[in-house]
Amino acid sequence: MTTDSHLAIPEEHNPLASMPHDTHGGISNPVLGMLLFITSEVMFFGGLFAAYFSIRASAAQWPPNNPQTNEPFHLQVLPIVSTDGIISVSFVLIATILLVLSSFSCQYAVWKIRSDDRTRFLRAMAVTIALGIVFLLMQVTDYAILGSEGLTLSSGTYGTTYYTLTGFHGAHVFGGVIMLAVVLYRGMVGQFSSKHYDAVEGASLYWHFVDVVWILLFSLLYLLPGKTPTT
Amino acid sequence: MSSSPRSRSSQTAIFALAIGAAIIGLSLILLYFGVNVLNAGGQFVSGLYPPIAVTAEGAKIRDLYTVVFIIAVVIFLLVEGLIILSVIRYRRKPTDTELPPQIHGNNIAEFVWTIVPTILVIFMFIVSWQTLNAVDVSSPTAQTKIRAVAGQFQWQFEYLAEDGTTVLYTENIPLVSAGGGMMVPAGRTVQLQLFVSPKDVIHAFYVPQFLFKRDVVPGRTTAFDFTVDAADAGQTFRGQCAELCGVGHYTMLFEVKALTGEEFDTWLAGKVAQANATPSPAPSGAPGQSGAPGASGGPGASGGPAPSGGGETLQISAQNIAYEQSSLTTKAGAPFHIEFDNKDAGTPHNVAIHKDSTTGQEVFRGEIFPGVAIKTYDVPALDAGNYVFECTVHPSMTGTLTVQ
Amino acid sequence: MATTTLTPVATRSRSALYAWLTTTDHKKIGILYVINSFIFFFIGGLLALGVRTELAQPGLQFVTAAAYNEMFTMHATFMIFLFVIPMLAGFGNYIVPLQIGAPDMAFPRINALSFWMLPLGGILLLLSFVTGGSAAAGWTSYAPLSEDRALAATGTGQDLWIVALVLIGTSSILGAINFLVTMFKMRAPGMTLFRMPIMVWTVLVTSVLVLMATPVITSALIMLFIDRNYGGAFFDPSRGGDAILYQNIFWFYSHPAVYVMVLPAMGMVSEILPVFSRKPLFGYKAFIFATAAIGALGFSVWAHHMFTTGAVYLPFFSIMTFLIAVPTGVKMFNWVFTMWGGQIMLKTPLLFALGFLSMFLIGGINGAFSASVPVDFALHDTYWVVAHLHYVLFGGSVFGIMGGFYYWFPKMTGRMMNETVGKTQFVLMFIGFNLTFFPMHELGLLGMPRRIADYSSTAGWNDLNLLATFGGFTIAASMGLFLWNVFLSLRSGAVAGDDPWEANTLEWATTSPPPAYNFDHLPEIRSERPVFDARHGRAVVDH
Repeated sequence: MTTDSHLAIPEEHNPLASMPHDTHGGISNPVLGMLLFITSEVMFFGGLFAAYFSIRASAAQWPPNNPQTNEPFHLQVLPIVSTDGIISVSFVLIATILLVLSSFSCQYAVWKIRSDDRTRFLRAMAVTIALGIVFLLMQVTDYAILGSEGLTLSSGTYGTTYYTLTGFHGAHVFGGVIMLAVVLYRGMVGQFSSKHYDAVEGASLYWHFVDVVWILLFSLLYLLPGKTPTT
Repeated sequence: MSSSPRSRSSQTAIFALAIGAAIIGLSLILLYFGVNVLNAGGQFVSGLYPPIAVTAEGAKIRDLYTVVFIIAVVIFLLVEGLIILSVIRYRRKPTDTELPPQIHGNNIAEFVWTIVPTILVIFMFIVSWQTLNAVDVSSPTAQTKIRAVAGQFQWQFEYLAEDGTTVLYTENIPLVSAGGGMMVPAGRTVQLQLFVSPKDVIHAFYVPQFLFKRDVVPGRTTAFDFTVDAADAGQTFRGQCAELCGVGHYTMLFEVKALTGEEFDTWLAGKVAQANATPSPAPSGAPGQSGAPGASGGPGASGGPAPSGGGETLQISAQNIAYEQSSLTTKAGAPFHIEFDNKDAGTPHNVAIHKDSTTGQEVFRGEIFPGVAIKTYDVPALDAGNYVFECTVHPSMTGTLTVQ
Repeated sequence: MATTTLTPVATRSRSALYAWLTTTDHKKIGILYVINSFIFFFIGGLLALGVRTELAQPGLQFVTAAAYNEMFTMHATFMIFLFVIPMLAGFGNYIVPLQIGAPDMAFPRINALSFWMLPLGGILLLLSFVTGGSAAAGWTSYAPLSEDRALAATGTGQDLWIVALVLIGTSSILGAINFLVTMFKMRAPGMTLFRMPIMVWTVLVTSVLVLMATPVITSALIMLFIDRNYGGAFFDPSRGGDAILYQNIFWFYSHPAVYVMVLPAMGMVSEILPVFSRKPLFGYKAFIFATAAIGALGFSVWAHHMFTTGAVYLPFFSIMTFLIAVPTGVKMFNWVFTMWGGQIMLKTPLLFALGFLSMFLIGGINGAFSASVPVDFALHDTYWVVAHLHYVLFGGSVFGIMGGFYYWFPKMTGRMMNETVGKTQFVLMFIGFNLTFFPMHELGLLGMPRRIADYSSTAGWNDLNLLATFGGFTIAASMGLFLWNVFLSLRSGAVAGDDPWEANTLEWATTSPPPAYNFDHLPEIRSERPVFDARHGRAVVDH
């Protein structure tokens, strides 16, 4: 139990304020904490990616056949000109571009708060959040389309890995959007300045991480050529 | 600055007691395991040694065990001795008021006890690797090819033709004492393939006297070779599933019996002729799927489709490697019937009746058959008294039968 | 995140219980960790007694085979995830900020959050006993057995197990982040990295292991959950999945987890031995490098749990497993030569530390048998392995934890523990431990597989099993003595004072128990033994 003389100090009070300590300059506690958290997230996705590669490597054919059509599952990527001349633009490519753009707008927001430009910081943050929400909506739509084509979580290893990988990425985007929304709110009530923006920095790092994971996922699921059975 | 004087006399007595008791305890344990060291057939036998190997591969593993064991004992005695010696020698005396020399370390010592253990473990790795290459092999040229098929919770043994795929004969009963078991020709190299249905779980084929086990993994087939020493023909070795596979894990016993080469050939030829004569057993594959009756049955089997003659009919059913009835009663001096409902898909059971206890005289043994199926046994008249019924395949399945 | 408003003093007069439940003080949280861990230690211990009682004789006398499988599964789950790992994290929580001269952990509220996830996870696991049976596929929960199968883990127990483990894992990850930021950012002036006590170093390496390994098992558990509940096919061989994949991912975490469970205990022993030998730790830097080497090698040996699958590259994992013995051996020699030439005071903490040295030695040596692949073919999944892991986790971790408890109890409570009861407890525990687990070596060599509910009376395993059961109850008796000692010492133990052991590290430079922000003033930090320096002056250090 504490003695009376210490009771006056509120428990939420930052204990660092009253004690000497080696700050070692440089990185702040919340940003270091976020970097370490991202390390653990990298390992989490590492586990999922390892599972994907392992299953893919042991499969004779990838993607496997869709039982509904007896054709291999196909994830459409690039804008293609179909035979009747109508350009059908790939959904997922747009989503990818939007998410990459949001990473830039997020970093722009960090730069702006560093130079105390609060208005541009808030605007850039709002744009980032909007792009994140659009990405999520597009992913939900994409799920609906793929589901109607017969690709579901329970349709074998292909569906299981596809939905698990993209689903957990989507959950992280959702978490990131929440995090950014809190940052935006705190920015609107004026809690950030060029001297105090650790939370902005942390949220931004997280958002970049989510973006990088998506680029990896996109390359893996959409761009990496499949394999056909050698008969 | 320095320590204040402490009252040590009472603590010393307790300490002496503590250390004394600990040392006595440890010595007793070592004594217990040390005394059964004896020389059997020129081989070292001890509680800290694996059983004497009955295969050529197992003997190599046992030799390797000796190498590791000697190194382990030397290191153990050295370090444990140093610990005990330093505690005895450097106990604080009442006259020790000054601090001992404050030594922070010694780089040469650190170097020595990094390099020496490194050399030691690399040596152990090299001898292990050499042994590994000799014992973990599977050659297509093996004369005898057998496939062990695991499933929840049973073993089947399929005897294969030269090509390694055609099944000549399937043995559904895993225990020699139950009229089945895995027969192997002593002195010949046997290739053992391991198989389990992809819908089943992981099991492991383990015979302690082979000093070897190998997991049976759904979706993968593995194989290894072994050669039972010719001198061990006629012996039976117990085996057991070694990978947790569910509630019946502990019941997954099997036995391996070594026959001489000629005995084996005769035995297999007889079984193949028998199998060809009767339109039986289910082909290899998922054991859980096969509902067809498998083995030709144990001695004393008298299964029939319907009860013949009069007499009482007892109902016994088995599910999840257990009888659903724990005690039954019937009349003395009159034949009766047992309607046995085996509800375990693919798992062979039967009902055998022993006088007094499971080790008592066997007075009746019903046919062993895999589920899901119902058979009716005709049981001869029994004298009044206490009996137990058990499954010959799964001795853990028991119940009592009172005849009055 | 939210703004901090100072509440009026009047509403702050909370009850003591409320203060404990809402605390963000690392010392109180540390004590909560310790208490919570001991509660689950006793639950896990009761399950172990159940297992030993059933195995005392051949035949199923007390429980069904299904209940037996639940018992050993939950015994291991409680002991690993809710006793050893959180207990060491709890000691770390209490000790690390004190030893580096910090006022608290870097993120006090996250610290409280990581603690409260543990009892929540524990309650979920306990709930599974009343919702149709707990998980019963072993603490490893190998797929496909742990997937929805006939005669296996069919109930909600396995799902609750997965959820609880994900919770507990998240708690560990948050704790690890907290430790690392605290160590990197909040050391007192003069406390350079190479002046941090070994206890802090072991927690540092442990935190890196947790940070890198725990998320991986989280991914495996989530895949298992998807397989079980949403028709996934990750580990289902009949639908293109891979059963061995689960084992690879599982052991990628669970082997480093072994070091998570033993490194901080090594750290505790490394604190106790110098103090009670009145000498500095022999080879301080070598010790740090050895700890880091164990951590690094720990990530490359996972498949030595899978030698008998025949599906891993045996020579690589064999040589790495052998090599991990080298840094462990370096530590062992450093400990011995810390005592060599000292003035050894045989107090209870040192007795337990000696128990650690002599028993962990056995656990390390019989690990070399399993590293040798062909020998492992004979020993894997038998009672030999059960003996080995208990010599590491009980002979190692539990003896270390007990030593640490006796060593730091005066700091945590301000009172000394009773030496007589403590020494008696040690003797009983030491004997009981060896009676329980040494016979298991022979049982394994004789061919008794792990995790079997029953065995044949003709297999020749009867006497050894009875002996092990007797030993198990001896351990239980020693734990009874321990509880009595805690009760006795809390009520009427001698007042400890700031530094009852004449110790070396910073936690002994403040009051017992320390004030809310730990230090009113700090001694000068010029070596890894600041309190020793303050007591004896610099001259002694430069021998």
